[in-house]
Amino acid sequence: MLALSRILARRLYHPSALEHQLAHSFAPLTYGPGSTQFKVLEHALNKHVPSYGFNERALVASLNDLDLGPSLLSVIGASNSPSFLNASPAVLELIKFHLVTKRYALTKELDPARTSSPAEPPALETLFHRRLELNKPIAPHLTQLLSSLSIPGEFLVQTALPELHRLSDDMVYFSKEPDANDFAWYSKRIALSCAFVSSELFMAQDRSANYADTFEFAAEKLHNVSKLGQYYNNTEEYMWYTLLMSVNLAKSQLTRS
Amino acid sequence: MLRKSVSRPASRGFSVLKSLKTTESPKSTQNAKPNDRFKPLSDAQVAYLDRVVRVDQAGELGANYIYAGQYFVLASKYPHLKPVLHHMWEQEIHHHNTFNEMQLKRRVRPSLITPLWKLGAFIMGSGTALISPEAAMACTEAVETVIGGHYNDQLRCLNNQYELERNDGTKGHSQELSSLIATIKQFRDDELEHLDTAIEYDSHKAVPYILLTEGIKNVCRVAIWTAERV
Ligand SMILES: [Fe+2]
Ligand SMILES: [Fe+2]
Repeated sequence: MLALSRILARRLYHPSALEHQLAHSFAPLTYGPGSTQFKVLEHALNKHVPSYGFNERALVASLNDLDLGPSLLSVIGASNSPSFLNASPAVLELIKFHLVTKRYALTKELDPARTSSPAEPPALETLFHRRLELNKPIAPHLTQLLSSLSIPGEFLVQTALPELHRLSDDMVYFSKEPDANDFAWYSKRIALSCAFVSSELFMAQDRSANYADTFEFAAEKLHNVSKLGQYYNNTEEYMWYTLLMSVNLAKSQLTRS
Repeated sequence: MLRKSVSRPASRGFSVLKSLKTTESPKSTQNAKPNDRFKPLSDAQVAYLDRVVRVDQAGELGANYIYAGQYFVLASKYPHLKPVLHHMWEQEIHHHNTFNEMQLKRRVRPSLITPLWKLGAFIMGSGTALISPEAAMACTEAVETVIGGHYNDQLRCLNNQYELERNDGTKGHSQELSSLIATIKQFRDDELEHLDTAIEYDSHKAVPYILLTEGIKNVCRVAIWTAERV
């Protein structure tokens, strides 16, 4: 339970971005769109990952495209520990970059801190659908991506899980989905994260035209998420009702005897 | 006779999904041009605000349920206490709603163990009320003493540690911080008023007074420590 709250704790208080500057515009990335690191990763993700996948070849190809030396490869991954099985720190950074920038892309038109005329909050289903759409270019490499994300270790705890939680939190916050002030806050986000991961796993195997099966699968998973919040609240409500009724019953028995 | 008292807390809805979204609209802080925006808060400052919202939300949730428990037991048997309890309970509900709204707007996670806070607070409120009305008031006195002190600690920290620098070099509190400080100040005053009410209604005549108040004060301190973290 403490481990859970440690992962969730990384999503902290959000000061009003209209009044306070943000330390990093793409937090938790510590570099902005102006930096070389950002440009290389963005180029690699858009141009080379769709054909090569998440590996060093994609990064080297984009370093070549941008006329940068191969030594940058070790700079790019400097924030990740090198002890990771098989994957180089630079590739891990590429994966992190994919997760973070796709999450920000999802809410670009909805966040008043990033647009002067934010659009009406969409349904949760719409955001969920849109996020899966963003996976289409890299869908052939999803299996590899998901297996890199799920290897137990520092990357999973420091990056993969917190980023998944942030995605769910963003989807609830920027949609018109009702949010909760109690335990349902957690159950909703956890259910949403599970629904997203299973939809991605489905997408990785999906051979249907334009991933139609994936979106159908996702819609059904999501339907259960919305119901889950209601289930939890109804259960708690019912238990209170039962508790108060039994106390009343006990009291009336006592006064009668 | 008793059925009447149960209808009250039940009708409040013990766990309610918030249907109104409180995302920020650019209009609410229209005077914040890029140049008089504040420099970023430090990680420590953000972490402290995160704790403040979580622990205060949990505390007001607890207060709400303590009064619910007292009201549940006392309202029908002691009609003269009914309006007094009802007034204090209404204020706690307002406090709780305020922090609920803030928790959603500022995207703070609530305490993980809200069901436990609800149950514990309800038992504390109804349990002391079952001993006697005076014991219930002693409970209120103890709780409000700790909460009042806790709010004062927060006010001290918020006033001292959140002087922020704007991009043009001037300093001050942001609107967000000033309004948080004003809210906590108001709530602290309300809590101290509850404390006076409890004494006025004979909390000191409760038996065993010292045991009761000191015990409850310790429970509250442990609860605050836990709610800040879990
Ligand atoms: Fe209060
Ligand atoms: Fe109070």
